[in-house]
Amino acid sequence: MGADLKVIGNADQDAQVECQIRDLTVTFTTDSGEFPALNHVNLDIIKSKITAIVGESGSGKSTLGLAILNGVAFPGKVTEGSVDFAEHGNVLKLRGKALRHFRGPVVGTVFQASQNAMNPLARVGKQILDLGRSHHYKDPRKLLHEAENLARRMAMDPSRVLTAYPHQLSGGMRQRMGIIMALVLKPKVLLLDEPTTALDLLTQSAVLEIIRSIHRERHLTTILITHDMGVVAEISDYIVVMYAGRVVEQGSTHETLRDPRHPYTRAILRAIPRLTGDLNRARPLEGSPPDLTQIPATGCVFRSRCSYRVPQCDLVAPILESVDTGHFVACHQEGLIRD
Amino acid sequence: MSKFFKRIGKRIVAGLVMILAVSSFTFFLVHFMPGNPVQTKLNTLIEEGIPPLQAQAQVRSMYGFIPHQPLYIQYFHYVWQVLHLNLGKSISYSGVPVMHLLLKAMPWTVIMVLTGLAVSFIIGITAGVIASVKRNSKLGDGLLLLSTFLHGIPQFIMALGLAYVFTTIFKIFPFGAPYNAAISPGFTIPFIGSLARHAVLPIAAYAISGFGAWALTMRASVTSVLGDDYILAAELRGVTPSIRLRYIARNAMLPLFTILTLSVGFMFGGSIFIETIFDYPGLGYTINTALAARDYPLMDGAFLMITAAVIIATIVADLLYTVLDPRIQRI
Repeated sequence: MGADLKVIGNADQDAQVECQIRDLTVTFTTDSGEFPALNHVNLDIIKSKITAIVGESGSGKSTLGLAILNGVAFPGKVTEGSVDFAEHGNVLKLRGKALRHFRGPVVGTVFQASQNAMNPLARVGKQILDLGRSHHYKDPRKLLHEAENLARRMAMDPSRVLTAYPHQLSGGMRQRMGIIMALVLKPKVLLLDEPTTALDLLTQSAVLEIIRSIHRERHLTTILITHDMGVVAEISDYIVVMYAGRVVEQGSTHETLRDPRHPYTRAILRAIPRLTGDLNRARPLEGSPPDLTQIPATGCVFRSRCSYRVPQCDLVAPILESVDTGHFVACHQEGLIRD
Repeated sequence: MSKFFKRIGKRIVAGLVMILAVSSFTFFLVHFMPGNPVQTKLNTLIEEGIPPLQAQAQVRSMYGFIPHQPLYIQYFHYVWQVLHLNLGKSISYSGVPVMHLLLKAMPWTVIMVLTGLAVSFIIGITAGVIASVKRNSKLGDGLLLLSTFLHGIPQFIMALGLAYVFTTIFKIFPFGAPYNAAISPGFTIPFIGSLARHAVLPIAAYAISGFGAWALTMRASVTSVLGDDYILAAELRGVTPSIRLRYIARNAMLPLFTILTLSVGFMFGGSIFIETIFDYPGLGYTINTALAARDYPLMDGAFLMITAAVIIATIVADLLYTVLDPRIQRI
């Protein structure tokens, strides 16, 4: 699987890896047993590109985001694997201060529930200063200045939003504030967990536009965790499709959306209603999202919802294999799946 | 600013109406209680063989007056006097104004209960935070068990237990009386030392029996705040543990401030059990005496004071909240 990188490299001569995930396995221990939330995930996050990680709830995409920050907490535990960052080594080995100064200054995070990601009792500006103090910023005024510039970028009045309490801001403003708090420490990696969920469509596209322009301008490596294929198609360079804690398909966004090879990817793409044409053509994905407690130990994790199922799927778990330059699929029937 | 005063004025008026309503209610409640002190005394004297007429005269001179008017007239009289800050005269301390008795008892209670409250609050909050943060460890389990256990022990058993252990088995602290009668009261070191020594056990009884409730409430509050998104977000933004602890503490303390303010209000009821057991001449002790002697004016006065204190505390809590929690509209 270590070959992923080279093949992608063939497609894009300049591609460099910012973050290399190998054999990452995260297990959740509950009263009724141990369940893998991530199962031997291998992934290369390409520098200065937007990588989208997509999947339903329960696919392990948020756990993957937490693992990148070495933030998997009880009852979850990283049982195997590594997350290597170019200049920081294996993040899963970082502890204490080293870990604290990795989170924030190296990887800035915008949280899934960004609406509630700020202390309700402190003014927004004060919380930005708390960030600065946590990361030994010598000049707090410079930090605030940076925050003001970002706020202006995002069409907000800096003097108003920085002196406001979180509850005085609208949902979209809080979301943008979350992005500012992730960017103000000038990280090189931006991790976004469902950044546009819970926003109305207009605010959503505005937030995406901001993410895209700042990504370009600062040469950020951006990881976008989402379930929204529309968002993926709009801004990402690479796509990683996850199902039940495994990567089932990955490749460049353009190639993968044009020619999806995994039955799951095809199914979720088919479930998107078209703006033009018959609404009935959109077909919902059958079955229910993966339940971690019900994942079969052997065979393909998707087989119970798959229409291409063959006896082999019950016995052998398919491995991620290259089907095209930089395009990988984990499916036994991949060769048969053609329109 | 005028809006501010208008809102405060509104609350004060509402508070006064509430005080009147509650004190009327307690007035009637107290008077409907079974047992008439005059009749009881009269019966005792007659049983002792004193002729009825002579007994009546004796009772009249003993109590100063006999409440003989209909209850509603007594009530209007009471309200009228209260409006003039006159709480009437005590029956059991014949002729002494109720206000005088209450003011004399107040310092004992305020010092004892306020210290006890402060000690139990501080220890309880600290224990609650530790019990919550370390809730998956032996320390957390131990603190939870201890808090639940102490919370379950009634105040009077705690007081008796402490008194037995520290005055009878180990003669460390004195028992009964608020200070050593052999030392003449005054602003002298021996007298203050004696006061302090006598206050240790009552304060300890109050603090230990109150500590559990604070610890359990704080533990629940901290546990809920720890699960809030902004705490996890702060951790994943690399915010230092000390700043994070400040976020947690401030948010978790919010609901406890209301309880604390109300406790300060209820403090004016004193602690009947503790003050009675330790012979501490505070408000609780006074109320107990009044109850035993069916001293209506004293009871009415004491209850009125508790009512007023609690209602004032509620208003203060409301105002305090607007300062502590920005989400509540500033008035």
